[in-house]
Amino acid sequence: MARKRGRGMAACWYGIARTAAVDRAGAWAEIDDGGSAKIITGVTEIGEGILTVLAQIAAHEMGVKPEHVVIGDNDTGRSPEAAHAGASRQTYMIGNVVALASREARKRLVEVMADVWDVEVETIRTGNGEIWAENTNHRISMGEAVTFAKGRGVVPVGSATFGTDTTGLDPVDGSGNPWQAYVFGCQVAEVEVDTVTGEVQVLGVWAAHDVGRAVNPQGVEGQIEGGIVQALGQALMEDYELKDGHTSTSGFAKYILPTSLDVPRVNSIIIEDPDPIGPLGVKGIGEPAMVPTIPAVMNAIYDAVGVRIFDLPATPEKVLMAIRAKEREAAE
Amino acid sequence: MVDLRLEATVNGRKISRTAKPHQRLLDFIRDDLNLTGNKEGCGAGECGTCSVFVDGVLMKSCLLPVAKAQGAQIDTIESLAKTGELSVLQKAFHKAGASQCGYCIPGMVMAATAALRINPFADREEIKERLGGNICRCTGYQKIFDAVELARDVQNGRLPATALLETDTEDGEVIGKNVRRIDAPSKVSGKLKYAGDMTMPGMLHVQVLRSPHAHARIVSIDVSAAEAMDGIEGVVTSADVPGQDGFGVFVHDQPVMARGKVRYVGEAVAAVAAEDAMTAKRALAAIKVVYAPLAPVFDAEEAMRPGAPVVHDYAPDNITKHIPIRVGDVEKGFAESDLVLEETYSTQAIEHAYLEPEAGLSYVDPDGVVVVVSPSQNITHHRHMLARIIAKPISKVRFIMSPVGGGFGGKEDMIYQGMLALLAMKTQRPVRLVFTREESIISTAKRHPSRTTLRMGLMRDGRIRALDMRMVCDGGAYGLSTEGVMRKAAILAAGPYVIPNVKVDTYGIYTNNTPSGAFRSFGALQTAFATESHLDIAAERLGLDPFQIRRINAMRDGATTHTKAKLGTVSLTRALDAAEKASGWEAGSPTMRGGTRGDLAHDDVRPAVSLGARFAADGKGGKQEAAE
Repeated sequence: MARKRGRGMAACWYGIARTAAVDRAGAWAEIDDGGSAKIITGVTEIGEGILTVLAQIAAHEMGVKPEHVVIGDNDTGRSPEAAHAGASRQTYMIGNVVALASREARKRLVEVMADVWDVEVETIRTGNGEIWAENTNHRISMGEAVTFAKGRGVVPVGSATFGTDTTGLDPVDGSGNPWQAYVFGCQVAEVEVDTVTGEVQVLGVWAAHDVGRAVNPQGVEGQIEGGIVQALGQALMEDYELKDGHTSTSGFAKYILPTSLDVPRVNSIIIEDPDPIGPLGVKGIGEPAMVPTIPAVMNAIYDAVGVRIFDLPATPEKVLMAIRAKEREAAE
Repeated sequence: MVDLRLEATVNGRKISRTAKPHQRLLDFIRDDLNLTGNKEGCGAGECGTCSVFVDGVLMKSCLLPVAKAQGAQIDTIESLAKTGELSVLQKAFHKAGASQCGYCIPGMVMAATAALRINPFADREEIKERLGGNICRCTGYQKIFDAVELARDVQNGRLPATALLETDTEDGEVIGKNVRRIDAPSKVSGKLKYAGDMTMPGMLHVQVLRSPHAHARIVSIDVSAAEAMDGIEGVVTSADVPGQDGFGVFVHDQPVMARGKVRYVGEAVAAVAAEDAMTAKRALAAIKVVYAPLAPVFDAEEAMRPGAPVVHDYAPDNITKHIPIRVGDVEKGFAESDLVLEETYSTQAIEHAYLEPEAGLSYVDPDGVVVVVSPSQNITHHRHMLARIIAKPISKVRFIMSPVGGGFGGKEDMIYQGMLALLAMKTQRPVRLVFTREESIISTAKRHPSRTTLRMGLMRDGRIRALDMRMVCDGGAYGLSTEGVMRKAAILAAGPYVIPNVKVDTYGIYTNNTPSGAFRSFGALQTAFATESHLDIAAERLGLDPFQIRRINAMRDGATTHTKAKLGTVSLTRALDAAEKASGWEAGSPTMRGGTRGDLAHDDVRPAVSLGARFAADGKGGKQEAAE
């Protein structure tokens, strides 16, 4: 048979947020007129869905609806520092700091309403755009509550900072505490190898990843699916070629990327092992999602046709040459 | 060449406009009609983000001379939601979470619209084939297929229209719920403005002169002829930098434009601001640079040898960064091992290939603040560096992060923002630079190519006794994120396993290749490829199942890492259990048993592709589209 299937697996671990350096982020929050909410923080969306995650977190913490959360532009002249968009840190660093800032804004509003209603602060609940006191008839919209607060000279705002307790590495033995949150994962890949052409198709991937707490499971899946496909590009086809410093792959006609026809079905399994340090239990997923994919695919190619690729990418030419070499070896 | 009078119908409206004969339909739509929903991703018909309908047929507008649109009916992404209400397909993209950075999405929505027009009952495999001309770098395509299937089913009445709406939760809890992306409507409709879509009154267009040499001394740069050209408002070189010229994520070793010498092909040497991009391009040809070529070095191992050409004077050994990790005594560990395995692994440079090429605007505001608007992944650090470069206090430098059309680490480097700021200061007018795809590929960071020698010692029962890894990475001409990549690679190199003796050395090396930098997974991908391949080789030799050998060595709650950090809970065995169970894994040693496995999947895998089989088989419908 010309086409042979096989399976392989690999595991991974990863650190969340900046490595071996103190990470930090700041945010401002306000429960605004009409009961909407405003979040200002110095970093934002690069496609991973952080705006939606922040809206969910702010909504959860302040009791408004996610669609009523406005997130300000990221602008070093107009918003507090939140450092960079990378290192799988957005949900962890910005998510946690937005939660803390939102809690402070909510506290201001709750204190006013406890006074107005003459109830204990602890009995006040917020959610879905409403604020109420437990076991009473007091229940009004967040918008009405903001009007009450402003009538008493209070603007319900909050601010917060979130930092990590991390250290650099020792220059001799590398010891140190590079991260305060770690995630782990495991992937299984199923491939089909064409023994006539050497072409490898990755048909399925099962990806189990710990994310701490999934704020938006669909977004987590999106990160896992996208990460796996980027890794698959490196595993099988992508190659930035240089000769004497000049590239021969300066456009997408020569630099081959995965298309809709190359991608496996990805089956994501989200594991939640909450982070005990941050206020939300969240960790991260952007980068770890692509770490186990390549070895899982290479292990699966070995399982299918008995050749091991040590030198990426596993192009059809390379796989075919390895299969032929193995056949010659067997014949000798 | 004479201008042409173009008469056409665009999004249902008749237009009669003057167009330049050299314009592509894409330029005309975006620049002249201000319809910026459809994007330019590659300029070569490869990525599909510029896809529009011409007389109802899906076409890549970057490949069409504008004259071809004479008398035609053109429909852009803006035509789909003209009344303000998103189309069923756009709503389905919103619901399914099919947009991430959003840059490919206008083209993807057009292609999907075409797919369902051609076959309203297309199954998932046919949908994939019909989207085959559109590249997405973020999503992995799966949620896009989900969206098109959802739209198909709603259009055909198999699902109610309410399937497109937000699923409200009864208790009002929003954490842990699939709240639809709040940025998706702006992306599926093409309304979101990326930096390359933005314009300002009086704006100038920037072009960059780049080095043709990998390593050369700059003898002289003469910009006088370029400066004298009609329409040129400013030319800058490193001579225009007023402060400390240097940027980088860790080491500030890269000048805004080459200073004294060039270190890689594609390095910026000078930049020009002109009334239009064509004039700026012509001015580049008028800049005279005299180079004296230097001996280059293109291989990281060679660059480490004594006597190799030196790329940066401050690093005579060409080492950007070396990170060591030491635990126990590896030689003793190998002596105690029953099995010692050594292999060498290598990985290639790869390109981030975000669909949005770099772009940015800069201007000086009325208070003298230098403002840069760009899809930067690190505006905080960029303002610190730019303040030093232009010798201004932090309060006089302002970075605004425009929507990022894919980053993956590639937009952490301040590779072009310095030139923009200098030109804005020199001309006192807003300036804009938009990279071509080629420019983006040759001048910005890649993933570090690596060569890793891994030696592992194991006991007969599968326990790892010692691990020794040496990884050498080509960091290219400038430091960028190399130091951090080497650090993360080293910390994670030995994997989440308890190993009493560990020795890891990662080296990032200067060469005259395109610089390597930050790329999603930051060094961990290279070392994991080696360690996780090696574990399977060991499992075969020891007769162990791949899951089993990892469980035997797995870090558990409270474990100490290779950097001697103490962990809290460790979810590794939970992840192993979950992947094993979900895949229905059949236990056994990895002995090329693919042919005899009983666990090969049916439902959770896609069918294997035999490209073109569908079109060959039915001989209708798709043929024309397939050829495009």
